[in-house]
Amino acid sequence: MNRREFFARLTTGAGVTVSTAVAVRAARAQAAQAPAAVDSSNLFAMDQSASRPVRLPPKPGSRVVVSAAERDAVEHRIRCQCGCTLDVYTCRTTDFSCQVSPSMHRDVMALVSGGYTAQEIIDAFVGVYGERVLMAPRATGFNLLGWAAPFVALGGGALVVSVLLRNWGRPARAKTVTGTRATGPTDATDDELARLQAAVRDDR
Amino acid sequence: MILVGELALWVGLLMAAWACTVSFAGGALRRDDLIASGRRAIYATFAMVLTASIGLWTALLTRDFSLEYVAGHISANMPNVYVFTAFWSGQAGSMLFWALILSFYSAIAIYANRDRNRVLLPYAAATLGAILVFFLATTCFKANPFTRLDWTPMDGRGMNPQLQNPGMAIHPPNLYLGYVATAIPFAFAIAALITRRLDAEWLGVVRRWSLLSWFFLTIGIVLGMWWAYVELGWGGYWAWDPVENASFLPWLTGTAFLHSIMIQEKRGMLRKWNVVLVVVTFLLSIFGTFITRSGVIESVHSFAQSPVGSWFAAFFFISTGTTIYLVATRLKNLEAKAELESMVSREAAFLYNNLVLVGIAFAVLWGTLFPILSEWVRAEKITVGPPFFNAVNRPLGLLLLALTGIGPLIAWRKASTANLKRQFAVPATSGLALGVLLFALGMAGGYALVTYALAGFVAATILQEFYKGVSARRAIHGESIPVGFVRLVARNRRRYGGYIVHAGIVMLFAAFAGLAFKTEHDVTLRTGQEFETNDPYGHHWRFVSQGASTDKRANRMVTSVALETFRDGKRTGFITSEKRQYFDSADRPTFEPSTEVGIRSTAKLDTYVVLAGVRGDVAELRVTFNPLVVWVWLGGALMAIGGLIVMWPQAERRRATQAGYVSVLAPGQAEAPAVGATV
Repeated sequence: MNRREFFARLTTGAGVTVSTAVAVRAARAQAAQAPAAVDSSNLFAMDQSASRPVRLPPKPGSRVVVSAAERDAVEHRIRCQCGCTLDVYTCRTTDFSCQVSPSMHRDVMALVSGGYTAQEIIDAFVGVYGERVLMAPRATGFNLLGWAAPFVALGGGALVVSVLLRNWGRPARAKTVTGTRATGPTDATDDELARLQAAVRDDR
Repeated sequence: MILVGELALWVGLLMAAWACTVSFAGGALRRDDLIASGRRAIYATFAMVLTASIGLWTALLTRDFSLEYVAGHISANMPNVYVFTAFWSGQAGSMLFWALILSFYSAIAIYANRDRNRVLLPYAAATLGAILVFFLATTCFKANPFTRLDWTPMDGRGMNPQLQNPGMAIHPPNLYLGYVATAIPFAFAIAALITRRLDAEWLGVVRRWSLLSWFFLTIGIVLGMWWAYVELGWGGYWAWDPVENASFLPWLTGTAFLHSIMIQEKRGMLRKWNVVLVVVTFLLSIFGTFITRSGVIESVHSFAQSPVGSWFAAFFFISTGTTIYLVATRLKNLEAKAELESMVSREAAFLYNNLVLVGIAFAVLWGTLFPILSEWVRAEKITVGPPFFNAVNRPLGLLLLALTGIGPLIAWRKASTANLKRQFAVPATSGLALGVLLFALGMAGGYALVTYALAGFVAATILQEFYKGVSARRAIHGESIPVGFVRLVARNRRRYGGYIVHAGIVMLFAAFAGLAFKTEHDVTLRTGQEFETNDPYGHHWRFVSQGASTDKRANRMVTSVALETFRDGKRTGFITSEKRQYFDSADRPTFEPSTEVGIRSTAKLDTYVVLAGVRGDVAELRVTFNPLVVWVWLGGALMAIGGLIVMWPQAERRRATQAGYVSVLAPGQAEAPAVGATV
């Protein structure tokens, strides 16, 4: 067995093992979750009981430091927990059957009245719901991997492409230097060459 | 007919298994009788799946509520058009629909190639048979639309009201047509890998199928955007939902392939890369289906508690493992003599185009899967929503837009400095001038300004190419401008059809940048009360509430609020938004109330009104100004038209192109196949 065959078999073996493990895991997860009656409608089921109170005592001598636009911006950064995947502002102004986003909105309003800043309000929501309440992860700790990976991958790809282009360019340049390009006499007649050049021109 | 359909589904599964087995055996043993049997089994599979589909349609249209699928997805009072589309609105039906399209495509692909590609064909048929076995087995065992209930209800549950929309009637079929078409190139790629015939032969077969897939995915994605915009009421058309991402991923890699295939055709390079792109495009279609049907990722579209996820996971990993093995053991056959005269050439531009397209695909996939990774590593759920995807994809999208303009301006092989100056002078000046002009007019927002400058640059490159082409025809043939334009496009459909697609891309980017200036207002109005504001262009708007009204229609109760609108003091008409409560034939409410958005569209601006709710005569509304949205739909339509032009057969040039330049030198030898020559 040569090295190429070894790696091919190793890769295939690993693929089969991983596939089996993932399939078994997914099957177990589904078996655990499967309800008696399966609903295959492809729109989400709303969880009306998903809101949790986010309450903080008003700051001493509190005055509102967040404008209406900033408050809306805060609500755009917080995710409604009903399962709709929308932010609180969009959900509450779209779907009046949702009881979760209005409840979260009331909490935002109470915190605004209590004199809290936009960042403090967001921190309060994260404190209650966890980081999943944010529409995008904060760029700290492990999440940095999430933010940076696409750019690192693109940079790596650009490096690979540049190296490939350089390597592919070497033989062509060498030929040019040694004069082996097809610039000398050929077997074709002038008429044939003219037709060929026209065809190449048309094809560009 | 329903029973016949149910039986046909099982026979179809057996036929697909037969097609897979005998085709593979026929290829391996070089037995023509087995190959022919496998081919006929593919046709028979299609016939059986079609019969099963007719059976399900019959059950739906006759309202046979003894079937679980019928009772779960329609009601007696639903219009027939939505009863017809209910075929693909649920899990089991959509699986059968997928199998129907796949068997149809397979039959066409096998029939079209029955006398050509004789070496590849049995393995392609075997691969298609295997994919069909998977879909039909999943349908039969895990999501059977013919499953009967223990009792027959008087009426069905009805269809989710948000799916009762013309866009939803045609959006899923288009997406499925696009997804499933990726299976044909995949099958021929697998056949080429098995037989080690990895020259341009298999590419000739797959290019048109890849285009077909791209065409339908484009239409499906844009229709999905339109549906989300007019039906869901959240004010946008793209939310980076996992289901949206799942459709976007194969589109990105498919687009990359349609560019890189040109390098293999022209230069014989990128053989490994093209195989990888074809395979990855198919696997992403399967992977996208897996993540949205398994429930592993939260999505507004998720097929809740779907039982087919583990089957898709297993199929995905087995397909991936098999493909990796085949590619790994055939690397030597995929070696190509690659030479590049210059880093400044169209080949290099296409490589960077591929890099950015695949980079965006990676970013989208990464963002979609990162919540799972985070939960696995940190045991903490997180949300990766639009702010992440927008932040990451904006710079990548702008890079792609720039390359859309740069690529066509650079010559193949090597571009000289003089050539570059001549080609870039007008487009670069145009883009820069547009950017400066918009800045001078007070446009704020860095990304939007850069987008419009680049859009101006790319639009100018396209116009320049058409201008040069039409001018040349006028000079040579003395044609008028319209005739010259039509003949220019007709004579070189790939090139100019591609430019039309690029023009659609420019429109889309211009429309996307318009969202930077979107404004929205949360409004509460009593009857007769008015709300005043300015739109992003500075025009003054006045909205006067006409009050709420409620009326009963065929299968729904409708509460609507009309706003009389005035722009700069001039009356522009009414915008009406509705809340609908659907009910069944016994007048029992079905589903949650749904929204019907009121939209007034112009080329510059959409005025978008959503009725969030009504309390007495007080209406809760959201008024949104969405600039340039109409250009999303026009851009999408233009891309589809361009794709159609590129796909359209070019009869008069086919023979010459297939024979390559040989036919130019020796017309009598035009039948000889040429490497890299495809239509």
